[in-house]
Amino acid sequence: MKAELSPRLKTVLYGVMCVLLIPFVFPTWWMVTSSVKPISDIFAFPPQLIPRSYDWTTYSKVFELQPFVRQYWNSAYIAAIVTSGTMVVSSMAGYAFARIRFPFANTIFMIVLLGLLIPSEVTIVPLFQMFLKAGMVNTHWPLILVPIFGAPSVFATFVMRQFFVTLPAELEEAARVDGLGRFKIFRKIALPLAKPALASVAIFTFLHSWNLFLEPIVFLSSANKFTLPQALTQYTDAYGGPMWNIQLAAATLTALPVLIVFIIAQKQFVEGLAHTGLKG
Amino acid sequence: MAEVTLSRVRKNYGAVDIIHGVDLGIDDGEFVVLVGPSGCGKSTLLRMIAGLESITGGEIKIGGRVVNDLDPKDRDIAMVFQNYALYPHMTVATNMGFSLEHRGTGKAEIAARVQWAADILDLSHLLDRYPRQLSGGQRQRVAMGRAIVRNPQVFLFDEPLSNLDAKLRVVMRGEIKSLHQKLKTTTIYVTHDQVEAMTMADKIVVLNGGRVEQIGAPLDLYDRPANQFVAGFIGSPAMNFLTGTITAEGFAAPGILLPLPEAAYEFRGREVVHGIRPEHFVPDDDNGVPAEIVLVEPMGSETQVTMKLGETQVTGIFRERVSLSPGATIHVRPDLANIHLFAADSGQRLN
Amino acid sequence: MAVAQDHARPESRSSSPFWTIARRDSLAGFLFIAPQVIGIIVFVLIPLGLVFWYSLHEWNVLANTFTYTGAQNYRMLIEDTNLVEVLGATAIFSAGLVVLNLSLALLLAVLLNQKLAGITIFRTLFFSPVVVSLVAWTIVWGFLLQKNGGINGMLQVFGIEGPNWLREETTAMISVIVVQVFKNVGLNMILFLAALQGVPNELYEAARIDGAPASRQFRRITLPLISPTILLTSIITIVGSLQVFAQIAVLTQGGPGMSTTVLVYYLYQQAFQFHLFGYGSTLSILLFVIVAVLTFAQWQMRKRIVFYES
Repeated sequence: MKAELSPRLKTVLYGVMCVLLIPFVFPTWWMVTSSVKPISDIFAFPPQLIPRSYDWTTYSKVFELQPFVRQYWNSAYIAAIVTSGTMVVSSMAGYAFARIRFPFANTIFMIVLLGLLIPSEVTIVPLFQMFLKAGMVNTHWPLILVPIFGAPSVFATFVMRQFFVTLPAELEEAARVDGLGRFKIFRKIALPLAKPALASVAIFTFLHSWNLFLEPIVFLSSANKFTLPQALTQYTDAYGGPMWNIQLAAATLTALPVLIVFIIAQKQFVEGLAHTGLKG
Repeated sequence: MAEVTLSRVRKNYGAVDIIHGVDLGIDDGEFVVLVGPSGCGKSTLLRMIAGLESITGGEIKIGGRVVNDLDPKDRDIAMVFQNYALYPHMTVATNMGFSLEHRGTGKAEIAARVQWAADILDLSHLLDRYPRQLSGGQRQRVAMGRAIVRNPQVFLFDEPLSNLDAKLRVVMRGEIKSLHQKLKTTTIYVTHDQVEAMTMADKIVVLNGGRVEQIGAPLDLYDRPANQFVAGFIGSPAMNFLTGTITAEGFAAPGILLPLPEAAYEFRGREVVHGIRPEHFVPDDDNGVPAEIVLVEPMGSETQVTMKLGETQVTGIFRERVSLSPGATIHVRPDLANIHLFAADSGQRLN
Repeated sequence: MAVAQDHARPESRSSSPFWTIARRDSLAGFLFIAPQVIGIIVFVLIPLGLVFWYSLHEWNVLANTFTYTGAQNYRMLIEDTNLVEVLGATAIFSAGLVVLNLSLALLLAVLLNQKLAGITIFRTLFFSPVVVSLVAWTIVWGFLLQKNGGINGMLQVFGIEGPNWLREETTAMISVIVVQVFKNVGLNMILFLAALQGVPNELYEAARIDGAPASRQFRRITLPLISPTILLTSIITIVGSLQVFAQIAVLTQGGPGMSTTVLVYYLYQQAFQFHLFGYGSTLSILLFVIVAVLTFAQWQMRKRIVFYES
């Protein structure tokens, strides 16, 4: 498989990959270009791969029709809190399950892993009732608390545990002899060495929070509280039909920043996610 | 600096006993080597002294203080690990000063101590490097530096040289030894390599199956092993053993009759194991017994010969060059001043 | 350090303090896992119990009544004629998604594992939809799949009259599957690529010396060695496919008819649009059982399909 490829085979492979790329890349291109087309050109025939004329007012309409800045902030700050919170909770739990001997550790770990098996859709009804009783419906608390402490963080805990298992025990023993207690060993030795694992936890936790859709539409009811995925679906005309170019402009504003960060740091993203302990 | 005392120290994991009641006294400033085959419990014992393993029974004292339930950090010990266990995300200087940092030592004092240790170990030019940028020997020295900066009461070494190549091992052996002579800190050193034990120890503790087989100075162990296990373990190439009976004529083993010293005849009629070190075969064409040569390995300074003595294959080392080839016959006799007799049943020394 | 003082019993060698090293460590362990474990209890285990409890009740939100009805909701489940369609759609969706996703992921991983210049650019581009906001991605595809949208426009350039993708039963199902595959196949691709790169090169060299052609090498060396990854990704993908909600909600709202109403979407409709919380909970239990059974079955299969496990 790793043999030198003949030039002809190389050309064929490049060709195949370029064709395969179309459905991966074209939608993003189409989203960005269509968002600046005037409404009349949106469904023009033949399709305009490059806009013939530009209408930048779509972008100002995004902000006029909805409190889009506010919604952007909602998504961003929720994702930030969820990401950092998950990193704390799951690195601590993952560390303990990997490295500390305590009674029933394995049983408790198996129970925690149950969270992987339970799609959040299964528990959405009782969670809604619980947050209703707590007066937290139409607040962001459910979107923050459940991901950090509930089922979504279990995968992160699992990834952290798989990483900490590979940490040489002697390092910790050296630290114990050097005078560190458990918490300091965790803070000063284990955590600094866990940066790659923490990075991948941060990436997929952020993406998960950023993409959350069912939970916001179940828990949130006022436009000011909406998160981006939910907000995107709200750009509709009086008949409920989508206002395509405005929706696409909002979608572009949602997708592009993450995409740009990804392209800058693609190595960390891809390799981080590839190493999410799935070897374990 | 302190003495270390172990009394009736036991350890078990569930129903499995790992250490069966070890008694051991280590004097202040002594260099003690725990040696034995893998699985003999030597590392476990060291880790119990360090506080990394719990103690099932008995008592461990360091400097007169019972430490059974103390954390490693409160035992005033330092340890060098087999894989060095250097913190990969810290520089050499931070690695070495790390323990002082956590004992509330001032910055200037830490820097001074680190510099002092670095000077002793010839690490001054490496202080800003990270462990991954160091060679094996340098890492080993940093690990030692980390131990000595604190000036602890006891140094513990857990097979520290086993990851180094043969040449470096000899060098580091010397460095550890001279470090000990400089600092005179009580040292407990674990190894499976009996050469390390012989060359470094003031006192060797031979462990087997969680029990102490013998404690003594290196040459005492070599010259008068208390039992067949110690006899076979200490010395390289290993001591030859022949099983046979003591008769009126000498030692009779299948196909061979060997002379014995006068004193050995008090065990007449007993079944014994006769131990002869390879260098205690003397070529003697007149009074020797015939042995068929199987293999000749010239080492330059000496020649190692594998030969058949009766039906038993034994190894001999001769200062003289041996020009014989396999199949030929050589005449040898054991040096009667240096023979070892063990009871065939218990393995305990008889003479 | 707790040091026992005056209670030192004379018969013991020295009264050991209550907080031995092991006990202190256990305490630390419990403190470390506490946030996660309490979270799992509050946000997973209690809700799971509540779902079951709700499923035994008739819950009228408007009249504010909550009456115990035993297995009535479960009878309703069996008699629910819609559910047959829903489960059918769910099965088609999941099966189609898993097969397409895994085979495309494996194909892409093999391509990306070749020694070609600029291969990381391709890797980045194939992976990029994973980081595009899910709803944004779905909206663009919804736009592309309109009757007069971009895809049909392209087809028309070549003289082909495209269907109204999202408004016809067969093409609607194909559409939601394909949109989801392109969104997330990059993840599995990356996992496969890591697995492929983990196969020692010497094995291929040995096979080449033995004269095995590339196709045989792939079947006899590559597949067995990456089978643990195949199992893992298939579990993740199946469980994930049962949770697909946003795409359906945005693209088809379960239509046309009920053709793309998968179980999760049906659950959402019953509970949050028709306010049938009792029945919605019963559907949740059904979803849980399906996920649990599938995961368990695949895990059991690992002995037969996984040739090698490190």
